[in-house]
Amino acid sequence: MLDLRSLAVGYRGAGGALLSGMDVSADPGDFICILGRNGAGKSTLMRTIAGLQPALGGVAALDGENVASMRPGTRARRIAVVLTERAFNPGLRVEDVIALARQPFTTWEGRLGDDDRAAIADAVAVMGIEPFRRRYFSHLSDGERQRVMIARALAQTPRLMVLDEITAFLDLPSRVEIMALLRSQAKAKGQVVLLSSHDLDLSLQLSDSVWLLDGAGGFSVGTPEALSRSGAVGRAFDTDAIRYSPSQGRFEIETPGPA
Amino acid sequence: MRITSRVAALIAALAGLSLLTLTCGQIALPLADTVGALTGTQSSDLARQIVLEIRLPRVAAAIIAGAALGMAGVLMQALFRNPVADAWSLGLLAGGQFGVALTVTAAAFAGPAAVSFLTVLEGPSITLAAAAGVAAAALFMLALGRRVGAITLLVIGLMLGFTSQGLTSVLLHFAARAGGRVYGGWQDASFAAIAPSALPWLLLPILIGAGVAVATAKPLSSLLLGETYARSLGVKVTSLRHAVLAATVLLVAPVVAFCGPVSFVGLIAPHFARALAGTARILPLLPLAALGGALLALAGDAIVHAPWEQHFLHLNAILAILGAPVVILILVFSPAVRQWR
Repeated sequence: MLDLRSLAVGYRGAGGALLSGMDVSADPGDFICILGRNGAGKSTLMRTIAGLQPALGGVAALDGENVASMRPGTRARRIAVVLTERAFNPGLRVEDVIALARQPFTTWEGRLGDDDRAAIADAVAVMGIEPFRRRYFSHLSDGERQRVMIARALAQTPRLMVLDEITAFLDLPSRVEIMALLRSQAKAKGQVVLLSSHDLDLSLQLSDSVWLLDGAGGFSVGTPEALSRSGAVGRAFDTDAIRYSPSQGRFEIETPGPA
Repeated sequence: MRITSRVAALIAALAGLSLLTLTCGQIALPLADTVGALTGTQSSDLARQIVLEIRLPRVAAAIIAGAALGMAGVLMQALFRNPVADAWSLGLLAGGQFGVALTVTAAAFAGPAAVSFLTVLEGPSITLAAAAGVAAAALFMLALGRRVGAITLLVIGLMLGFTSQGLTSVLLHFAARAGGRVYGGWQDASFAAIAPSALPWLLLPILIGAGVAVATAKPLSSLLLGETYARSLGVKVTSLRHAVLAATVLLVAPVVAFCGPVSFVGLIAPHFARALAGTARILPLLPLAALGGALLALAGDAIVHAPWEQHFLHLNAILAILGAPVVILILVFSPAVRQWR
């Protein structure tokens, strides 16, 4: 359903491509985690796949259609994003934020129809927004705000969800809850969910497939078990101080050996 | 529905205040005479003359200009994502004045033919000159708005306003010397200076601007989440910016041209509208801010033209007394301002 064909992403000019030659496919219901250290190109890759930034080469296609050449309205009906960029404005209530997700589907005046209300109600229920849906978005805690933004993406009823570090502000139980919830949503709705995270443990446990960026322009794709066993996780994250242990499935602090 | 009932209530309040303003003044008129003059039934010639020729154009100008500034405020606060943005605070009105001053001065130096040309086509030519100035100031502030925070932008806007007004004052001094028409009194805002025949020139661009504002309301709402989210919702952000800018210029330029730099109305009306609407979605805010702006402008005008012992008061003095404390409250208490860098 989502196909990357020799996709190259990055910024034109000095830096050049962060990643190139990506050939990957994802099927409906896939819950995919993109892992890599800061600066490895996770956000750039996700923005490119979401059509928010031009690719340097190759194609990202959704249902066979090049994302970059989709009409903006069409793209908005198929792809929803949650980004690290802070979004808020005075006077904007939680329900306004979520209702904005239906803009690609409404008439010029933005009036909500029955389908729109159903999609919003569904997203509100799934994310547990009801207790604070009448409150001002800017008055919420970081965690609540993140839930609202995810609910907004769900209410957009997309084919592809692109979620950039959405669990960064959440405590551990909430992270587990939200990642499990997104996984079950992907399965239930036949969506592809692309999620970048620094949460290695959870990502490796919950994802169907991992796209691992090693920070040097290389990447590996596979199931969590395969990547863990092959040592790819270690190559992407090991430093002098920590080392990934495939057998333990976690990082160990390097203790300096006898000199 | 909630919005509709509030709009109806505001229209009723506006009608009431208009009637009150029409009866009050140096010569107080009984309500019956005022209504009679308006409807063309029984009324003295004097009452008819005062109501229809002196007070009605003033009241109409206050309502139209106030509504235009209120809607422009909604657009600008969304476009700049800044709760204290408006045509006056960001220097657009002063920019428009400067545009007019430049044109008048150029005509004065060009000779009597140019001056008489300007005078004959006063409505459109002054509005066009104001539009150029407003657009230049708006583009400048928009370019700046991406580099600095909300409050810095406000301070820069006020400074830009002072600069433009200073330049305008100096320019008009020389224009007067060269024998051009002097727009001296116009440096202060007033709704009383407009000729009844000029009212269509005030109204027409504002109606078009309001139409554009309504058409951009939906995509502009999604811009409240920021540029990237707006794009992810299918909005073409660059063309949206241009359309909103065009609407702002259409709304604001005629106000500058005919009423001068009316302060505070456009800044406060959107906050009033958001409080009444319980939402920040643009479409319901537009009628509420238009009516709120009209009410505030008309209230200011009513106070200015109340039967004081001496001369009239200055409109901007009244608007500052009504408006500046509200802005201080917004700056101190609005969580949005605090969180916004």
